[in-house]
Amino acid sequence: MDWTQTPRRSSAMRREQNLALVSAVISGAVIAAGLLLLLLARVNPETASSIRTMATDVAAPAWGVVRAPIDGMTRLVAGIGDYFGAVSRAQALETQLDLANARLRQSRVQARELVQLKRLMAVREPKRQVIVTTRIAAAASGSVVRTAMLAVGSAAGVSRDMPVIGADGLVGRTQDVGQLSSLVLLITDPLSRVPVIIERTGQAGLAAGSNQPTLVLIDRVGPDLPLRVGDRIVTSGDGGVYPPGVPVGVVIEVRNDGPVIRPAQPPLGAGFVTVETAWLQMPAAAATGPLFDAPVPVEARTRGAPKPRLRSAEPGADPATEPTAAAALIVPVP
Amino acid sequence: MIASPPPPALLMTKAERRRWLLASWRYAVPAMTSIFLLMLMLAPLPLVVPVMPHLGLLAVLAWAMLQPGLMPPWVAFGVGALADLLFGQPLGVNATLFAVAASVMRLLDRRVGRHGHSFDWAVATVVMLGVMACTGPLMALAGRPVPMAPMLWQAPASLMAWPLVVRLAAAIQRRLVASMPGWRHG
Repeated sequence: MDWTQTPRRSSAMRREQNLALVSAVISGAVIAAGLLLLLLARVNPETASSIRTMATDVAAPAWGVVRAPIDGMTRLVAGIGDYFGAVSRAQALETQLDLANARLRQSRVQARELVQLKRLMAVREPKRQVIVTTRIAAAASGSVVRTAMLAVGSAAGVSRDMPVIGADGLVGRTQDVGQLSSLVLLITDPLSRVPVIIERTGQAGLAAGSNQPTLVLIDRVGPDLPLRVGDRIVTSGDGGVYPPGVPVGVVIEVRNDGPVIRPAQPPLGAGFVTVETAWLQMPAAAATGPLFDAPVPVEARTRGAPKPRLRSAEPGADPATEPTAAAALIVPVP
Repeated sequence: MIASPPPPALLMTKAERRRWLLASWRYAVPAMTSIFLLMLMLAPLPLVVPVMPHLGLLAVLAWAMLQPGLMPPWVAFGVGALADLLFGQPLGVNATLFAVAASVMRLLDRRVGRHGHSFDWAVATVVMLGVMACTGPLMALAGRPVPMAPMLWQAPASLMAWPLVVRLAAAIQRRLVASMPGWRHG
C-alpha cells in the first residue's frame, strides 16, 4: 500500500478540538444576539424597560443603604464646621434678611394684584404637587449616558416622565420606574431637551445636554435677540413635563453655534431632590377614535386599524344624549 | 487553572459529590467580582465629567486574562447586559462589547502569550480603547447617538485603574485557591 492512513487523533485532542469549536460557536451566537438586541432597541426603545426596572429595584435600595452612614458622617462634620464663624455669618445673614424683607413687602403687594388680575381674566393654572422628596441613590458617572437612580418607585407614587427638581434648580426627569427605584435622565444627558425661556427677554428655546458639565441652548424661537453673559434660563412649562419657572442655569458664554449654560443645580451635587407630578398630565391612552354603530370588518383590524369604539359599548351612552356626545368626540376632518 | 474539569460524578462518593457541589460557587466568583465593581461604578459621586474608570470592563478584561475559563464571552455578555440595564443605556451596547472584548482577550492570549505585567497592561489598554471607540457607533446603531469626546476623561482614569483591578482579581484568585486545596493553580 502506498497510501498512508490518516493519523488518528487521540481522544483527548478530539475533545479539545470539539470544545474549542463549541465555544467559538457560542461566542459567535452571543455576539450576534447582542447586535440583535441593539437593533431591537433601535426599533422599540421600550423593549428592555421591564427588565431594567428589575435590575434598578435591586441596585438603588442597596446604594441607599450604603450611603446612609456616609451621609450621617458628612452631616456631623458639617455640624462641627458650622460652630466656627457663626457670628460673622449671622451678621451677614441679618443684612441679607433685611434686604429680602423689603423685597418681600413689595412682592406681596404685586402678588395680590396678580391674583386679582388672574381672577378677572379667569386664568386657570395647574398646581405643582410634590410626590416625594429623596436623595439620589446612585448615578452612572462612568458611562456615555448621564443617568441617576432614586430609591423610590411606583410604590411611592412615582411614574414615568415626572420632573426631578433640586433645591437650586432642575435635575432631570424620571425615565424608567420600578417598584422601589426609578431611573432619572439628568439634564446633562445627550438625550435630554428641556423647554426653557430666557428670563430677561422671554425668548423660548431648548436646553440640551451633551454629556458635559454644561448645557447648550438650541432652537431659539423668534428674532435673534442678543444674549448676555449672566442671563438666567428657566423652564417654560412647554411640553407638559417640567413646571414653568424652575431655574435651569445661567448663560456663561455667548456663542453663535449655541450659547453655553452652566446648570443652576449640578445634577449630582443635589442633596435632596423632589419628584413632582408632570406639569400637564399626559392625555389618557384610551382609544379616542370615532364611534361606530357596527363592528369594523375583521379585514380592517388585521391590517392594523385601531380597536373600534362601539356605540353600544360606551359607558353612559343613552339614546337621548348620543348625538351630542358623538359629535363632541368625532374629530372634525378639514 | 481554577476551572479544572470535575471528576466524573458517578465515580464520586456521596460525601465527595456534596463537597464538590458546595465548592462550585467558586466558578461564579469572577462574574460576581465584575458585578460588584459594576455596582461600585454607580456611586453617587458629584462628578461633573465622566472620570469614573470603567471598572466593569476592566474586571471582565482582567478575569479574561487571568482565568479565561471562568470569563467566557457568554458570562461577559451577561455582565455587559447588567451594565446596560443599570446605566440606562440601550440593552446590548455593553453586552456586545464585553463579549467581544473577552473573546479578543482570549485570542490575544493564545496568539501573543503573556509577557509580564507591563505587557498585559498595554494589551488591556488597547482592548479598552477599542471598546470605547466602538461604543459611539453601537449607541448610534441603537438609535441614541451620543458625543464621545467627554469619554476622553474616562480613558486615562481606566488606564490608571488597571493595576488596581488586576491586583484585586489576583488576590481573590489566590484566596480562592488557598481555600480549596483540591483546585489546581496554573
